[in-house]
This record gives sequence, C-alpha cells and structure tokens, in this order.
Amino acid sequence: MSNLRIKNLTKRFDEVLAVDNLSLEVANGEFVTLLGPSGCGKTTTLRVIAGFSYPDEGEIFFGDRIMNNISPNKRNTAMCFQSYALFPHMSVWNNISFGLKMQKIPIQEQKKRVSKVMGMLGIENLEKRKPGQLSGGQQQRVALARAIVTEPQVLLFDEPLSNLDAKLRVQVRVEIREMQKRLGITTIYVTHDQDEALAISDRIVVMNQGHIEQLGDPYTIYRKPETSFVAGFIGLANIYEGTIVAKAGRKCTVEAPFGKLDIVFDAKKVPEEGKKVKFVWRPEDMKFYTKGAPNRIKGKIMQSVFMGNITDIFMDVQGNKMRAQIDESRKLIAGDIIDFSIPEDAFSILRR
Amino acid sequence: MKKKEISPIDVLMLIPGVGFILLFIGSSIFLTFVQSFGLFSITGKSLFTLENWKAILQARESIDSLLFSLKMGVLSSIGTVVVAFPVALFFRKGGTGKGILGSIIKVPLFIPALVAAFLILNLISYHGLVNTFLMRLHLISEPFRMLNDKFGWGVVFIQIWKNLPFVLLIIMASLASIRDDTIDAARNLGAGYWSILFRIYIPLAMPGILVSMILMFIKAFGDFPICSVAGPIYPASMAQRMQIMATIYQEWDQAAVLGVMIIVTAFIVIWAYSRLAEFVKGVD
Repeated sequence: MSNLRIKNLTKRFDEVLAVDNLSLEVANGEFVTLLGPSGCGKTTTLRVIAGFSYPDEGEIFFGDRIMNNISPNKRNTAMCFQSYALFPHMSVWNNISFGLKMQKIPIQEQKKRVSKVMGMLGIENLEKRKPGQLSGGQQQRVALARAIVTEPQVLLFDEPLSNLDAKLRVQVRVEIREMQKRLGITTIYVTHDQDEALAISDRIVVMNQGHIEQLGDPYTIYRKPETSFVAGFIGLANIYEGTIVAKAGRKCTVEAPFGKLDIVFDAKKVPEEGKKVKFVWRPEDMKFYTKGAPNRIKGKIMQSVFMGNITDIFMDVQGNKMRAQIDESRKLIAGDIIDFSIPEDAFSILRR
Repeated sequence: MKKKEISPIDVLMLIPGVGFILLFIGSSIFLTFVQSFGLFSITGKSLFTLENWKAILQARESIDSLLFSLKMGVLSSIGTVVVAFPVALFFRKGGTGKGILGSIIKVPLFIPALVAAFLILNLISYHGLVNTFLMRLHLISEPFRMLNDKFGWGVVFIQIWKNLPFVLLIIMASLASIRDDTIDAARNLGAGYWSILFRIYIPLAMPGILVSMILMFIKAFGDFPICSVAGPIYPASMAQRMQIMATIYQEWDQAAVLGVMIIVTAFIVIWAYSRLAEFVKGVD
C-alpha cells in the first residue's frame, strides 16, 4: 500500500492557481522528487503535505488516514527547510532533541536517539554549539538529524541544498540518499536542480504551472521526455518538428527542416504516416560521423566550448540551430564544416 | 586584526551625544550623589554628613514610598509586556483590521501622561464608566474603588494603557525578526501553540521584552504625574516624595538621597531583569 497519497489536490492563492488537480501515490520507503521551475507549485504541494496550508480541493492520505484537517504538529512529518530553520537560541543537542521532547519521549531514550543520529551524521562534536557557530554544511546536517530523529512517517525536503556550495551540495545529497535508504523513510524532496533530482530520486515528478508534466524514474524522465517542457527543463535538448513520410513497424522516416531522419520510436508511440510530430534528441547523442552511421548531418560550427570532459558545440544546419556535446578530443574552430550522426533510437516523440 | 584607532574627527562626532551625557547628566548624577552627603548643597552649605541618609532611611514614609514605587515599576513593566505580547503576536500573524487596530492602539503614544491620567479617570473613577456599566448590569452592588486605591491598581492600569503602544512597537520589532520557517519547523516537529509560545517566541523575543521591561520599569518607578492623579493618598511615589521633601519641607539634601535611591534601585532592577532574561533565554 502507498504510504502517501495525494488525490486531486488543488490549491489557490487568491486568483493564482498554485496546484491544479494533482494526484500522486508514493510507496513506503520511496524517494520522490518534485522538480520544476519557480512558481510551478512544488513547494505549495510540500507545504500542503506538511499541513502548513490546507487544500482547497482534494485529499491527502497518510496510509489510509485522511490528513486534510490534521494540524502540522500532529502529522508525524519532518521537514528540512531551505533556510535550515534551526532554532537559533538552542544548542545543536537541543535542536535535535526538540521533536522528541514534543513527543514526550523519556529522557534516556532521547539521549540514546540523539547520540545515535549525531553519530550517523558525524556531528557528535557539535552538540554544545549554537546554530550561528556552524558552517552551512554543518547546519544542514543538524537540520537533517533533527528531522530523522523523530522517525517520521514522511520526510520532507524543501530545496535543502540550495544554500550550499557546489561541492558540498553533491556530498550532502549523497549523505541524504544513503540515510534515507538506510532508514527506509518515505521522502518527498523539492528542488529546481535537475542534476540533484536525477541523482537522488527513485521517481521524479516534473511540475509546471501547478500540474504534473511527467512522472517517472530518472532514466525515463531524461531519456524519454514526453513534453517539450520536460525535455527542455531537464538536460539540454534539440527539439524539432517533422512529418512522418514513411513507416515500417517502429521505424519511421521523418522529414525534418534540415533533411530526412530515420527514427526508431517506442512501440506504443509510433505515429501514423503523414502526421506531424515533435521530437527531441540530446546533444550528447550526436557523434562525429563514421562510415555507415545513420542520420548524417552536415553542420557549420558556430561556437565550440572546451569543457574538459566534453566539448560543447553550437552549430548551424541549413539555418537550424543545433547543439552537440562530444566527448572525443578534436580541436574545432568556428566556421569548420563537420559531419555528425544521430543514432536511430536516440529520439523521443513529444506530446506537446 | 589591527585595532582601529579613533581619529580626532571621530571624537568631534561623538562630542554632541556623549559630551552632553557626560557633562549634564553625569554631572547631575554626581551632584545629586554628593548632595545626599551634604556636599555642594543647593542651599550653599557644603559639609559632609550622613544625617540626610539617616533621616530618610529612618522615616517610615520614605521606605513606604520606595516599596510603593518598586511595586508600581515591577507591576507596570510586567503588566504592559503581558498585555502587549499577545497583541504583537496578532499583528505578526496579520489579519483583517490590522491597519485600523494598529492606528487605534497607537493613540496613547501621542497623549501626555497627565492628560492620559485625566482621560482614564472618566473610565475608572468611583462614578466612572466601568463602574456605571457594571452597576447597570447588576454585576456589582456598589462601585469598585479603582482610582486612588491604596494598592495602586489605578496607577498600574493607566501606566499599561499609556505605554502599551510604545512597548508594542519594541516587541513587534523583536517578533518580526523571527523567521516563519522557524515557527513552521517547531510546528512540524510536534510543537503546539503553547510550546511554540514558551520555547520559541518568548526566548527569541527576549531582547525586546527585556528592553521594554527596563524602560517601563524606569518610567513607572520614577513616575510623578500618573501617581499624583490616580495614586493613593499614602504612600506617595518616590518622585512625589522627592517633590514634597524639596519644595514643602525645603530638605533639598534629603530629596537628593531619594534621588540616589531611585538611580541605584533602577540599576539594580535593570541588572535583575537582564539576569532573568539570560535565564529564560537559556532554558531551551
């Protein structure tokens, strides 16, 4: 049975529709990320789950218990905030034990659990410090410890890593994921960082303007985006429209603005001949052309950016802009004419 | 780190503020202190003596005045904060009518203390509005004595009414500095309303509460106008007693003793409040 169920959730702020008829089921112990740009409704959804705001329509279930009118202090959720929201007047120890005190856990048990969690997160030497005396990374660990020590039914994260530097962000996200796996707590994680979402999640919910654009595991979301929004928001994308001019099973020939492409679509999604389709492929799917490779494209290099492990290439193909990311080492100069190829199965068809 | 040196320009900039305090207030305090021992007396005499202190400390009236003013100071400071804190919390949360209510509540700020005392007289006097209202409703058979009462409730009431907006502004500023996330985090961890109030709001607003209480104490402890209008016949407040000693009995040096007692008591109470605030802040 799912641990968390959101059914037809709608939330408005005056005239603004923040969440629009959103439904989601999260299994026990699953790590689900709500991913989307600012204002897409992801934080509102999280706050409704936590009980900080109430739904205008729809229901929230924890197990089979409806939570709509349950106040936040009785929900058994724990949240890690973007600002960490540590209690500035309390020591690290008292911050972490706060939730246990509220639950009236016996003092000996409190000591045991706080020590254990501090040990797990490597912050046992900080117990007497106040939040103002900690670095960002340490504060985030304390916030995480404070959340998991209460053993909540649902753990909530609201962009918890956005105040950390890039290196620390990667380190802490690995720690969060390991901790979540070890404890098996159902987790909802909100972020606008696609890398973070791909790296940490069992499933990703891509949100846009209050509704779900696509829901799936990180591989599917990245490799098989269903809409231009998802394709464009997660990773880099070349998105074009074309007409199916020939079809043989899953293999189609598409007339694109820059020439014909042979595409092998997913079995369920093969469109009819003569139909216009929107499709996408990733820049890293493009290769330097070798004899016999499919979908040969001749492009003029507009700009080439060496980025260490890859070279980012901006090119012009018969007046159409395209982007390629090549991991082969070859010096490219603006103005060079280069042949590329795209594998037949690198394409995804888009709904809109 | 290299210690920054104070330049002559810095000194010049400090002179109007610090210089005024040192010259006029500092010298006044010093003179009051030495006059209490008979030196540099306003009457022209200058002879060291402990007689003024003996006379004041042995007079029942002075001790009663000291205790009365202390009581007024403590009750008014606690009372104002207790009344202002929930209002400040309401304003922090917001809601309908916040603007109008905010304007109404600031009215006493613009009314002088003596006028305020007379205004409140109409309300809480023996035949005032409150007593008339309670009598009409047959809730009481005879009027309450709320003004010039022996305990001084009338004074406390007017002090609270008069100083509420001032304290409210300080506490509101303190509460505004508490992040919503901090409150949400406490709620999320299982804290109910009272836990949040006592474990989060009050400790975090403590600097504002402390400042309010100290300022209120000093105002109420040294009050003259409100005690004159609404205070009991006996005992007089310390300020009233000073005025009586100086202008009626012409005992200026004994008035100086009372002045020193006011200053010293104010310092002791400020110290006690800050210790209390530290204690409350430390309980987490």
